[in-house]
Amino acid sequence: MNMLAARAPWLARAVQSRDFVPLIMLAFTALLVVAPLTMILLATLTPDGQAAWQAVTNSPLSRNLWWRPLGNTVILGIGVTIGSVLLGGFLAWLIVLTDVPMRRFLAVMSILPFMTPSFASALAWATLFRNERIGGQAGYLASNGIPIPDWLAWGLVPTLIVLIAQFYSLAYTLIAASLSSVSGDLVESAEMAGAKRGRILFGIVLPIVTPALISGGMLAFAGAVSNFAAPALLGAPVRMQTLSTRIYGMVQTGNIERGYVLALLLMIAAAALLYFSDRFVSGRRAFVTVTGKGTRTKRFALGRWRWPLFVFATAIGVITTIVPIVVLFASSMAPRPGVLFSNWTLHYWIGQGGTQIAEGQAGIFRNPHLIDGIFTTIRLGLTVAACAMVVGLMIAYTIVRYKASPYTRLLSQLSFVPLFIPSIAMAAAYIAMYGTSLGPIPALYGTFILIVMAATANLMPYAVQSGRGVLSQLSADLEESARLTGAGPMRRMMEIIVPLAIRGIMAGGLLVFVKIVRDLSLVVLLFSASTPLLSMIAFQYASQGFMQFANAVTLLILVLCLLASFLAHLLQNKVQKWKKT
Amino acid sequence: MKHHLKMALSSVLLGAAALFTAPAQAQDFDTMTAEELLPHALEEGKVTILSLSSRIAQIKTSFEEKYPGIEVEAVHLNSTRQIARLQAEQRAGIYAVDVLYMSETPVVYRDLLPEGMVEAFIPARVKADVPEALRENLLTHRLSTRALMYNEAAHPDGSPIENLWQLTTPEWRGRVLIDDPTQRGETLDLLVEIALNADAMAEAYEALFGEAIEVDRDLEGAGEQFIRDLFNNDVVMINDTQTLRSAIGLISEGAKPVGFMTYSASRNNERDGMALQISNDTVPAAGILFPTVLALGKNAPNPAAARLMIDYLMGDDSPTGGTGFEPFAVQGDYAARRTIVDHPDAIPFDDLNLWLIDPERTGQARQRILDLVIVLQ
Repeated sequence: MNMLAARAPWLARAVQSRDFVPLIMLAFTALLVVAPLTMILLATLTPDGQAAWQAVTNSPLSRNLWWRPLGNTVILGIGVTIGSVLLGGFLAWLIVLTDVPMRRFLAVMSILPFMTPSFASALAWATLFRNERIGGQAGYLASNGIPIPDWLAWGLVPTLIVLIAQFYSLAYTLIAASLSSVSGDLVESAEMAGAKRGRILFGIVLPIVTPALISGGMLAFAGAVSNFAAPALLGAPVRMQTLSTRIYGMVQTGNIERGYVLALLLMIAAAALLYFSDRFVSGRRAFVTVTGKGTRTKRFALGRWRWPLFVFATAIGVITTIVPIVVLFASSMAPRPGVLFSNWTLHYWIGQGGTQIAEGQAGIFRNPHLIDGIFTTIRLGLTVAACAMVVGLMIAYTIVRYKASPYTRLLSQLSFVPLFIPSIAMAAAYIAMYGTSLGPIPALYGTFILIVMAATANLMPYAVQSGRGVLSQLSADLEESARLTGAGPMRRMMEIIVPLAIRGIMAGGLLVFVKIVRDLSLVVLLFSASTPLLSMIAFQYASQGFMQFANAVTLLILVLCLLASFLAHLLQNKVQKWKKT
Repeated sequence: MKHHLKMALSSVLLGAAALFTAPAQAQDFDTMTAEELLPHALEEGKVTILSLSSRIAQIKTSFEEKYPGIEVEAVHLNSTRQIARLQAEQRAGIYAVDVLYMSETPVVYRDLLPEGMVEAFIPARVKADVPEALRENLLTHRLSTRALMYNEAAHPDGSPIENLWQLTTPEWRGRVLIDDPTQRGETLDLLVEIALNADAMAEAYEALFGEAIEVDRDLEGAGEQFIRDLFNNDVVMINDTQTLRSAIGLISEGAKPVGFMTYSASRNNERDGMALQISNDTVPAAGILFPTVLALGKNAPNPAAARLMIDYLMGDDSPTGGTGFEPFAVQGDYAARRTIVDHPDAIPFDDLNLWLIDPERTGQARQRILDLVIVLQ
């Protein structure tokens, strides 16, 4: 550093400045995120793009193209955020901090919904609640004599419920990770000081997990706002459009500029909302709790509420998890669509080809691409999860440690943007940017690296948010002591920060893994060969009208996600040994 | 050392030779037969095809069997994604695609063809078998449909819809199903075609209601009026193909709605316990036929193998078209080569009461109809 100071004083000053790290991270984010954003912006400045701005913002179309979808989107976003945080927070509290029976079981039930694709939940809803609006066969409830009004069968209400049922588990994952770091000491001291339970919950626990609540809420918001399947399936019969169905539609019908304009406006709207929530969090006192002393988490005794609350939590899990999975499972076994629970056959899983069933298609386990697909999917999922978490952790660390820098807020906002970029635009930008060699960067087109880069950028928000939730509680004292004893930054990261934050990191890695394994709309565009990925195989079956096969593959993806979460759990226990005794 | 030098020199010479002969060859390739293309294709050793149909996997197997030494890289990608990918690639100066097998022709003819991003190739041997309208620009491989379908079990005496305008009457209020035309190009093209056939729609109106149609001032013609009346008659949109099919087609009690979908949806009737049937006698037409085309990518890296692939996909001279066409022969789709016979269970091509879209004209009118639908939603 001294040498540097002598040779290039300006550089030394820059390095020592509090803005240095944020600026480096900002530059990094720019490469991954600002590039596609710029491409979108440029596309809307062409003559076609200007016409699109006009059509969207100031024409007879504006009402149906922008304002009404915006209204629906905002209602969905806010509703899902509140619902998910309340439900996820309640479950996290119940499972981590109380003596409710069968906590392991409840924990598994609570992470499952995030792994169920939203189209499955939407279809499950329609199977049960479908009414005479679309003619043909009525849903399960209607055919049993329970009249279902339109508002409960289609539109905003069912979409809201289906999305909450999916995203509460995301909030749960983040909040539970944060709650598990609430040290028993704090609770015990409060108890000794004579604080009542309610006081401990609202005075100690809640403030500590606020960052995780906000992170979970923000992700639920972004997830709800950008979700396509649920509003497309449940909203169409009553002509409900959201911004994401509009963006999808504009791209599909060859009006890509309008899609881009809507995406940009959506980003601005979301940024405005998130800006205020960000201010709200940064304005609060910061709590530092994870000190590594790590007494075992102290559990509240629920008393006579133990079993009623258990039943309630189980009911939530059954309704949001088991029902969609059963519908998915049944439709992978039922020879006829719409008649789910009779004449089950295993043909679609293991049947031989060349029979009368399914135009001679063999079961999925006889598809030679399937095994390949499983491994390619796992490889991609793990690589992207690892990359995203490294990047996410670095950005989260910067955001938390360099709060004072003006660049930090920009970084925090930028890291959120990818959730709103339509995948087709993201992929196109990556082809344009990194397709040909650029200075020292060789042409990455068609390589695994490019796919991983795009996927990492796309899922960065999940990684950053889950990193933030946990890191914001890490005590700087420990790091300071390590630095004083001569540990370098890498060593401090690996031996202090990572072990303490492992649950948050694992939770985040799992979210990324699940996202990438389940939904590959972005990656498909970048694959140059017919590399089989499970979600592509499912899509191929579905596009040929073989829904049973598609559902079977979707279930397989679910199993893969479950295995991953199980492994993450094992690993985390291994690292956090002190929690065991 | 000397050896290396010789190698380097000869490869430079070879490269130079290739450079000089390449343009001339590309020209010649267009007139070559499969046999003449083969040695050049073998030299290239590879062909990359983007396909909207996942059945391309079967083509990969049979093509590599027939032409060992040429590896097929088959990427299953819907038309919208193919267009996005090709544009992004070529703008970055990457020419990686040999063959595109795609629909969404109104967008292809508007955004790709005028820019020269895709090129036509029509094997001389099939030219006579393909009607001229199906090879004016790009070569049509097969025709798919979007047509009015009804439940044959609920209406054993034939379709309840004899005239499209019935769909705008109170009897069918809320009982016509369609997938969202602002999200599906094919459905939008169906509405565009109805709008373009304004005279036929006006005639049909008079035939049903006994008086001449009055078109709203802001609309152009009877077809656009039909679209407005249909939406104001509470047309129901469903975005899930499976749900759409079973709502109309399942054999069960009760009144059944009617709706627009692909005619080939009826091919699994028996398997799925359904009774979907095309309402072919409806006037003025039951729907549209739209092309799926084969095109070369600009500067295709394997120009000979690319042409060989297109030649193969057009099928042989047998009634089924052989291994190159068979995977795509399904009930309700029609081969562009009229030597390939129609599926025995489907209505013969010549008896179809469907409008054949003109991609260029459709492309020009698409925006206006899309905007009309957006306002009506």
